[in-house]
Amino acid sequence: MAETILQKIVERGHYKFVDRVDSWQDGVRLSCESLAETGYVSPDYYKQIVDCIEKYGPYVVFDHYVAMPHSQEGAEGANQTAVGFMRVKEDVDFGKDEDGEQKIARLFFTLAAKDPNEHLDNMQQLMAIFTNEPLLDALMAAETPEDILKAEADFPPEEDY
Amino acid sequence: MSKLDNKKFMVCCANGAGSSLMMKMTLQKVLTKLGVKPASLHHCSLSEGKSAAPNYDVVLCARNFANMFADAEKKGTTVLGLKNIMSAPEMEQAMKDAGLLD
Repeated sequence: MAETILQKIVERGHYKFVDRVDSWQDGVRLSCESLAETGYVSPDYYKQIVDCIEKYGPYVVFDHYVAMPHSQEGAEGANQTAVGFMRVKEDVDFGKDEDGEQKIARLFFTLAAKDPNEHLDNMQQLMAIFTNEPLLDALMAAETPEDILKAEADFPPEEDY
Repeated sequence: MSKLDNKKFMVCCANGAGSSLMMKMTLQKVLTKLGVKPASLHHCSLSEGKSAAPNYDVVLCARNFANMFADAEKKGTTVLGLKNIMSAPEMEQAMKDAGLLD
């Protein structure tokens, strides 16, 4: 069986566990750090993401504390295709959306997209993760890379619809 | 036969790479469940989508972007702005509310 995206995250060291961040901008920057350290994205890749969220609002924050910061496919600074994972213990406030709803995240899945096919595969897997609430709860409680793998083993993706 | 057969769908998000792709997957799920055979499914960025929207029958996007397609809507395109881009039930309901389903 091919590696799952969570296995890839662990194997490539694309994870980070922090207690709190100063701001959502700081959160986006930190969520890109493991990708930047391994050369998957350029050191200033995060700035594009911040700009985009400032322009369009916190639409990258979904239900159940999930944020998916990303830039464009083939974006400058995205050298390879990958997903960076970050778990923050305290809420990260992205502000209100157009309905006045507060957008809060604790799990960051930050995208770098270079290869369209691999990116599509990543997105399919992420969508299964984002709609799997028990798995998200387990990931929010994770403290180590081993916890990420255990969460996935305990709560495998299911068809939801 | 469904009313949505042979329709052209476009899904848009700010970058055309993240949420629009997810929304397209949600759309595929919904169309498969309904047994619809669309003419095409396209995903793209808002900048591309804004001008291209009138060429499509149905445009889907996150709710905060829906007002950007007012022009296309006037020309007859159905625009569906969704709160949760990953929710297949919400998408199906939005289609129902827009009169797209039989």
